[in-house]
Amino acid sequence: MHKIVNRLLTILTFSVFSVSAAEFKLPVYEKLVLENGLTLYLMEQHEVPLIDAVVTVKAGAVQDNKSGQAEMTANALLLGSGGLTRAEFEQQLDFIGANINAGGGLEASQVAASFASKDEDKVLKMLADALLRADFAEQEVAAYQQRHLAALQQAQESPKAVIGDYFNALLFAGHPYAKQRSGNIASVRTMQVSDLKDFYTKWYRPDNAAISIVGDFDSDKIISKIKALFGNWQGNSENFSVPPAKVKPAKAKVLLVDKPDARESTYIIGGKGIARSNPDYVALQVVNTILGGRFTSWLNDELRVNTGLTYGARSSFSAYQQGGSFSIYTFTQTDKTKEAIDLTLKTYARLWQQGIDKATLDSAKAYVKGQFPPKYETSGELAELLSGMFVYGYDETFINNFSDNVNALDLDKTKSLIKQYFPKEHLQMVVIGNADALRPVVSEYGELIETKIDTQQISL
Amino acid sequence: MKSILKLCLSLLLIAPVTQATEADDIQQFTLKNGMQILVLEDDSIPNANMYLFWKVGSRNEYPGITGLSHFFEHMMFNGSEKYGPKMFDRTMEAAGGANNAYTTENLTVYTDWFPADALELMFDLEADRIANLDIDPQVVESERGVVMSERSTGLENSNFRTLHEEVKGVAFRAHPYSWSVIGHDSDIANWTLEDLRQYHKTYYAPNNAVVVIVGAVQFDEVKKLAEAYFEPIPAQPEPRKIHTVEPEQKGERRTYVMKESVTSPNLLMAFHIPPTGHKDNYALQMLGDILANGNSSRLKQSLVFEQKLATNVMTYIPDSFDANLFYLYAIATPDTSAEDLEKGLVAQISEVIEQGVSDNELQKVKNSRLVSFYRQMQTINGKADTIGTYQVYFDDYKQLFELPAQLDKVSAADIQRVAKTYLKKANGTVGILNNKEDSYAQDR
Repeated sequence: MHKIVNRLLTILTFSVFSVSAAEFKLPVYEKLVLENGLTLYLMEQHEVPLIDAVVTVKAGAVQDNKSGQAEMTANALLLGSGGLTRAEFEQQLDFIGANINAGGGLEASQVAASFASKDEDKVLKMLADALLRADFAEQEVAAYQQRHLAALQQAQESPKAVIGDYFNALLFAGHPYAKQRSGNIASVRTMQVSDLKDFYTKWYRPDNAAISIVGDFDSDKIISKIKALFGNWQGNSENFSVPPAKVKPAKAKVLLVDKPDARESTYIIGGKGIARSNPDYVALQVVNTILGGRFTSWLNDELRVNTGLTYGARSSFSAYQQGGSFSIYTFTQTDKTKEAIDLTLKTYARLWQQGIDKATLDSAKAYVKGQFPPKYETSGELAELLSGMFVYGYDETFINNFSDNVNALDLDKTKSLIKQYFPKEHLQMVVIGNADALRPVVSEYGELIETKIDTQQISL
Repeated sequence: MKSILKLCLSLLLIAPVTQATEADDIQQFTLKNGMQILVLEDDSIPNANMYLFWKVGSRNEYPGITGLSHFFEHMMFNGSEKYGPKMFDRTMEAAGGANNAYTTENLTVYTDWFPADALELMFDLEADRIANLDIDPQVVESERGVVMSERSTGLENSNFRTLHEEVKGVAFRAHPYSWSVIGHDSDIANWTLEDLRQYHKTYYAPNNAVVVIVGAVQFDEVKKLAEAYFEPIPAQPEPRKIHTVEPEQKGERRTYVMKESVTSPNLLMAFHIPPTGHKDNYALQMLGDILANGNSSRLKQSLVFEQKLATNVMTYIPDSFDANLFYLYAIATPDTSAEDLEKGLVAQISEVIEQGVSDNELQKVKNSRLVSFYRQMQTINGKADTIGTYQVYFDDYKQLFELPAQLDKVSAADIQRVAKTYLKKANGTVGILNNKEDSYAQDR
């Protein structure tokens, strides 16, 4: 029936969410690969007359030759295409309440459309125009470059907005995961249209891309539309793989980022994490929930509830293809910085010193299971999930076996997880605040490196 | 009511909608103590929520206790008779639930999200803190630190927040919308236990609340539980009415805020407008969209893309019981002065006042508002929040489903009229945030 389509894989789960069983299952979806190598994920959802379509390309900051290339290439696709200027393109979308947004991430870039289902034909065509026929007009790109530079500069006004970049730069020094996702001021200033075209030509190829469509549509019909719109997309992407992120700090380091008018200190403490493919990914979410993944977590309980040192403290694993990070994040008023960092470290050390008891583990298991279904409720969220499958290689078992994986965790296993995965020594720390006030305090925690928040590029 | 479907078809030619929520899907009852409960059964995920809208916010405060509504929002998690300190959160999370809360100028809203089978526990937890809150003096002290940190991190990371509280303070000199929801530092440090006790008794009365429950629940079960847990909580006398009316502004007001780390000027303009329930509400909302929603909007097109004076522009109209403000916020491009940005913004406002808006712009807003409505109604949380908001501000959740009809009634002439009526210099306050000290030397 779909003669132009190779159905490599058709997955049918036979029901939508089953309430009585209280087991959360992923709704039916299909995965197909077109002849040109383009992957297509389809999931019908008919509750509201909306569709989300996300084009994902496995090309991100890790492939940047110039920092910011992936981010700017994705955005440049929306600056005019298919005979429409940027302004006309935006006017037409705005008129029907549709959005098309683009952005570069660490390991993938996306162009994501959200629209009313009656506008399916129109918006899918515009999406295809952006992906396949972007103008890359000099003037529009130059104006966008100025907007992007201003955005990078404005981000430096907020410690919260930039602290992650500093932490990645410190932790992954020398590895592509150290790259700033949106680029830096120095490199973006030198970006040429040719840099964006090069990036596009190299990586925006059908065998390196997927379209995830979720919402109120008819699968059979949309397959032929996608074939007509994207079937002529040709060429092969270059081979690329990120080297494993061998994070092995030889000593504790403290990166102090000066913001002279800071009224508080914002900090991250962390170390090596895990890759997304790690079989313990779900179990580690549970353990992290206890440490810093919910309101009653140890970190939030100590730093917020017991002492009033902060409005919130949390910890998390960021997992990528070839590794990842673990980090604790919080903030406190400048003169409480030492008290807060000491309490953070002391609380973190409870993982080894005190360990986890059964009641806390049971509570965390119930919590992560209970809070799981709402993460995948909208067509946008589901389209993102399918895109994640394409980039990180997991499948519907991530959702359908989630409860089983959580249930399988026992106290012995948590002990071994803590031992194996939570970084214990040579912790890496970033503190953003008033350097003159903080220098004597934070230098106690490791080798001190200093920079300023208004730096043109992070170089350590 | 089926009218929503017909209106969609006529407005947007949307293909048949099979499952979208309609007014008839929502069931409502009022307990004997006056508490209003709204229920929407929705099995799309095995979860449910409970949203409690209390009609208390910073407008119910006065100098000396500014920020108390928000502080109280925090205290509601800090212990009651059956569930002592920390037990509200611990009990809820152990049952797979999570919660949050927010405070505005008008409301304090508590949100519980949980697996549907934990419904009864939610009633027990909520009833206990509504009826028997036990304010522990020690917890009050540590919570002051938490709120100070919340205030500080907002000011550290958000230029809007920094400028907004100053602009409000200038635009209002009489009405309690004058101060920020989080309150003054000195009030956060000084309010007393007695202030808190009084606040709870007055405002956390069942007759002052609207409760919305959406998710994989049964109406009959919800009703039974509401009667068992909430109905015994006694009603209280109506809280004092907020009778202060902001005197008419007779000329432009201005304020300036210095923050060293700001890299380009931020501009916030605010114009007095009537409350949400006023007949001009929809026209004002649509004017806000025409000005700044989407890159093809007037201000973005002109100031961001053509004149390159701004990196971003937005409009903001808070839902409100009393007359409040229409905000226009713009961030200058590097090297653009606050004066040039302001001139550019005023020129655009003047153009709407003098030339009006096009039918195309009007239709665009109607279309996009309807799609936004569906985006909101995609989740059980979006549904609960939207239903509750309409019930509170319009005293009738069904108004939510009248949205397309209400938007349809607004003409281009209405938009021009409200722009002319409200966005005038004498009715406005201008706030500028920049990195230079305000000094006489600069004026020379």
